[in-house]
Order: sequence, then structure tokens, then C-alpha cells
Amino acid sequence: MRLLVIEDDLATARFVCAELRASSYEVECCEDVVEGLRRARDEHWDALVLDRMLGARDGLEVLQALRRAGKRTPVLILSALATLDERVRGLRAGGDDYLAKPFAPSELSARIEALLRRSAALDGARQLAIADLRLDLDSRRVERAGQAILLQPREFRLLEYFVRHRDQVVTRGMLLEAVWDYHFDPQTNVIDVQISRLRTKIDKGHALPLLHTLRGIGYLLSERRPDAAETRT
Amino acid sequence: MIRLTRSVTFRLAVVCGVLIGGAVVLIGAIFYFGTVGVQLRNVDRKIGGISDRLVVYADRHALTDLAHRIDDALIDGIDSDTEIYFLADARGARLAGNIFLDRAQVPQKNGIFLARVLRNGKPSSARMDVRRLTDEAVLVVGRDMGDVDQIERQVWRSILIGGVLALVMAVLGSLLLRRLIEQRVHAIRHTAAEIGRGNLHERIPLSGADDEFSRLGKDINRMLDRIEQLMDGVRHVSNAIAHNLRTPLGAIRNQLEHALHGEAATSRFAETGRAAIGQIDALIVVLQKLLQIAEAESGTRRQPFEAVALRAVIEDMVEFYDAAAEQAGIELLAVVENEPAVFGDRHLIDSMLINLLDNAFKYAGNGARIEVRARATSGGVLLEVRDNGPGIAAIDRKRVLERFFRARHDVSGTGLGLPIVAAIASLHGAILRLEDASPGLCVGVLFPPIEAETFPNGNPPVSSRRN
Repeated sequence: MRLLVIEDDLATARFVCAELRASSYEVECCEDVVEGLRRARDEHWDALVLDRMLGARDGLEVLQALRRAGKRTPVLILSALATLDERVRGLRAGGDDYLAKPFAPSELSARIEALLRRSAALDGARQLAIADLRLDLDSRRVERAGQAILLQPREFRLLEYFVRHRDQVVTRGMLLEAVWDYHFDPQTNVIDVQISRLRTKIDKGHALPLLHTLRGIGYLLSERRPDAAETRT
Repeated sequence: MIRLTRSVTFRLAVVCGVLIGGAVVLIGAIFYFGTVGVQLRNVDRKIGGISDRLVVYADRHALTDLAHRIDDALIDGIDSDTEIYFLADARGARLAGNIFLDRAQVPQKNGIFLARVLRNGKPSSARMDVRRLTDEAVLVVGRDMGDVDQIERQVWRSILIGGVLALVMAVLGSLLLRRLIEQRVHAIRHTAAEIGRGNLHERIPLSGADDEFSRLGKDINRMLDRIEQLMDGVRHVSNAIAHNLRTPLGAIRNQLEHALHGEAATSRFAETGRAAIGQIDALIVVLQKLLQIAEAESGTRRQPFEAVALRAVIEDMVEFYDAAAEQAGIELLAVVENEPAVFGDRHLIDSMLINLLDNAFKYAGNGARIEVRARATSGGVLLEVRDNGPGIAAIDRKRVLERFFRARHDVSGTGLGLPIVAAIASLHGAILRLEDASPGLCVGVLFPPIEAETFPNGNPPVSSRRN
């Protein structure tokens, strides 16, 4: 997977590239806007990481130029402009995700992974499954090992999101935005409790736990148990 | 002093002068035609009448008889100080009359004409009616206009004097007005300059009269009060921000320093680093909340306002919190009556509810009962979050809306939750009220009633959620 990072702040660029390389992506970094736009347009990339503020120019101009040139490469916008309005502007300009600075490195790699796999496989399917857990999107029914599980509508959406992003780290922010369309972090442990209730419903009484908590990072739906040091079930 | 032509008062004075001049001319014209004009018409009618009668007489009598009749008229003592007669034969010789006219002086056409004549040896201006009789004789009947001329001169003089006086008064009045306005404007400009120099306490002195300038001054002073209040607010907030960021930053710095130079440096470093990250994350939350307040206060988000149905927003939010409520043994209820809708920004209303519910969960504690209520009333849409926890002491209820104020220090928090709610409420034109729910706290947000024109079909939408 090849990624291009267009970022003129050296410290941030170094940090972003190091983090993405650690997740074993092939990363190129570009500090110049014009050069960045040229490379983004002329070479093949699996995703772009684009800073909103590139010196005098607005990163959104680069993004618009890229989209006008017909490039559909997924773009993650990084920005110190964190307000809702700026976020909406970023997404309208053709961004696929918007991450406000400062951010945790794990949040960056989780969102990049989600971007890369977003359009991958499961989009059209009406039946989703992981291990012995099955979701029917039409009848909104869930069963595990043949036993029906009763979920509230929002819990169903939450589980659907997890299954679509199976084996990927999903952060609280991603869940809030995608499942609830909330753009403000509650300060209480609301999300954690929602997840643990969902976990009780799908994992309780089964030998293989599917829904894992990665402390300080997020959550993971996977048949494989993540590194023991990070989990808390 | 600005250039004269640019001065508003000068231009006003010129306009006034022109208008007054016009009025004087108009009044003069009416006066002139009402006096002199009427006189002239009377004179013309009178001499015309005499001429007509004499012409009829001349038709039936000889020219000498006419001459006699004119002689009689001249001595009858009627109008003798003004009347003028002149009768000449075809050769121009005078047959009767009290003036003499040369042939050249008499116009060829019958009718009124003016000329200077010698009457009784005195020069005077005369208005005369000339008629040609048979045999080329000429009959002139006229009137000495000396008295009328005098009246006319008098009229002209009064018009002139009146006009000049009016103009002088217009100029004096304008100068007075100009001085008056300049004095008042000067006070305002002086205040503006003082404020420009940073002296924000300066106010426009008010004269006490309830005139336009006093009202303008009052308006400006009110605006200045508000600006000063805002400036104080900004200063207070900046100080509060500095304090609230500096303190934790200092703590983080000290911890890191200590870990670097401490005895068991390496073993404790990972722990210290994690703690520092946690504290920095808390600071990031503070910054995000401050930005939210700033965003709401700047009013820039008024643009995407739309009708928001509160039922969907509240039910989603309660569902979002219900797992947490279940875990904490909190009874969380949504009571929505008569489909209330407000004109606003759904995301900000979400944020408002998140902050209010976070507070209720945090302060009312385990086992509490929390109600989210919404209903449309005649005064607007009332959104309430009510808990039966310990509530907020009356003395603190105003202060909890101040940034960084914290009523309780036994629970961690930023002191920014309610200020965010307040900023969002004010952006929506809503009134925020904190009341004692005895026991507990009731936070009420009264949104203004949604205007009818917001919904072309007359009905608010049932739901504006997209999922």
C-alpha cells in the first residue's frame, strides 16, 4: 500500500510518516504543495494524507484540483481547524475523512486503514458474517452459532459497522461519527458502556470472544485475539 | 475643519437659502399680482369703458361735440387728478384734452399703451387707450399712473427687503445650526477618538434633552457599554484560559523534568510519559471545548440553521446514554410532548444535550433519576434536563455559566460544560434557566417559537435525522 503525505510542517510530517511506516505502509512525504499536487495526480497512490494549511495555500485547493483532474484516491485531511464548519468544508471539497490536530497516532492509522478498506469487499452484501456471527441486513436479524440475538436498532448499526470494519482498529471518534453522527465527545464512558453491552450480547457464553477493547486506542472486532498487553475484555 | 462644500450643514444651509429665496419670490409674485396687477386691470377696464362710451358718442355727433364733452369731463371734478384725455384731428392738431401727443407717439393700433406725458405741465407716466375715430381723428383716454407706480415701487421694495432679510436670516440660521451640530458632533467625535486611543471608559456627555443627538448619544453609549463588557469578558476569559492551561502545563513539565533527573529515571519514565499524555489529552479537551464556545459565540454557524425536530434528537440521545445509565443504575427518561421543533443546528443541539447529560450523570451520580423533557409551549419550545441529584447552590447558579468556574471540586471536569450550553443557547436565541428541582437541578432551555414562514407547508418536519 503506497501512501503520500503532503504536509509542510516538518515535525508533523516526520511523525505522521513514522507512524504510518510502523503500520507497514510504503510512505512518501512531500513538503511542497505544487510538487505534492503533481505527484498526487501523476502517480498511483492508495491514499493521501493532506494537511489543510500548506503555508500560504489552503490544502482544500489542492484537493479540489485533484478531484477536478478526476483522481478518486481516498484523502484524509489533517487540520488544526477543528470546528464543525471546517470539517464540513473539508468533506465537501472532496475529502473522505477529516482528522483534527492534535491527534493520537493510533487514531491516524485506524482512520487510514478504514479509508483503504472502505470500498473493499463487503459493501454490496446483504448478509455479513464473522466466525459464527451472522447479520442479515434486510431482516435486521443477528444470530450467533444459530441462536438469535436481540439488538436495539442502534446496537445493530454499531455491530454492522464493526463487521464491515472487521480486523480493523476502530476508534471512539470513528464510531461516534459513523454510528451516531455525533461530533462531540461525551466525557463520560458512554461509548465504552455501549460496547461492553454489545459485547455481552454477542460474546457471552461463547468460547471465542470477537469484540475486543484496545486500551487507550479503540475497539477491534476480530476472530484473532489482539496482543494480550493491549486488551481488556 | 472639513472643507466647506463637504460640510453637511453647509449644504443644508445652501438648500435652505435656495428654498427660502424661492418662497420669497413666490410670495412676492402673488403679492404683486394681487395688488399692482389688480390695479392695472381696474384702470384698463375704466379707461376702456370711457373710450367705448366716447366712441359711441362720436359716431352720432360731430367731432366738435366730442371735444366739448371731453372739456366738460375735464372740469367736472371727478378723477380730475388722474384723468387724461386727448382728441386730435386727422392732421394731429389737438381739439381737446389735457395732454399733447405727437402723431409719432400714438401707436397705429387701437388699444392700451404706455407713455410719458406732460399733464398740467407736470411729467407723468400714463396708461392710455387709443381709438381711431372716423375721419382719421384720434381719441386717447388715459390715467396718470403716478400713484399706482408708487405702490408698485413700494411692493418691489418690500419684496426686495423681505428677500434680503430672509436670506440673511437663512444664512444666520444655518451658521447657528452648523455651530450647534458641530458642537454636538464634536462631543461624539471626541469620545470616539478617546476610545480609539484605548480609553474605553469614555462616554458621550448627554445634555438631558430628548433630542436626536441625545438619543444617538444614548445608543452609542449603550453600544460602548456592551463593547466594554465584552472586552472585560475577553480579558477575563484570556486570564482564565492562561491560568487553566498554564497550571497543568507547568505540572506536566515538572513531572517530565523530575522523571529525567530523578534517581530511578528509566524505570519511572514510561509511567510519567503515560501520565503526561493523559494530562495533555485533558488539555486538548479543554481547548476543543473552548473552540466550541468560540464557534457558538461568533455566530458563524447561524447559516446552516434548519428546523430540528427535538423528538428524534432526544430519543437518539437517550438511547445513546441508556447503556451508561443502566450500568450506573440511573433511571433515564425522555418525555417529549406535541412534537416540538426548533430552528437551529442539530449538531449543536446534540452538543448541548451531551453536555447536560454528562453533567447530570457526573453530579447526580449512581441511582439518580434523569429526565429529558421537551414540549412546545405558547412562549416557545422548552427543553429541560432534570435530575434529582444534589443540584447547584443558589449562590453558584449564575457563576456556573462562567468559563472554568467549578461548583464542586470532588469530581473532575473542565468547568466548560455549562458555558458551552449557554453559548449554544444564546446562538439559538434561547433563554437558559437553572432552577432548583428540589431535590436536584433542572436546566431549562426555552427556544423562541419557530416562525411560521420557516415551513412553507405549515407543518414542521417530523424528523430531520438522517439515520
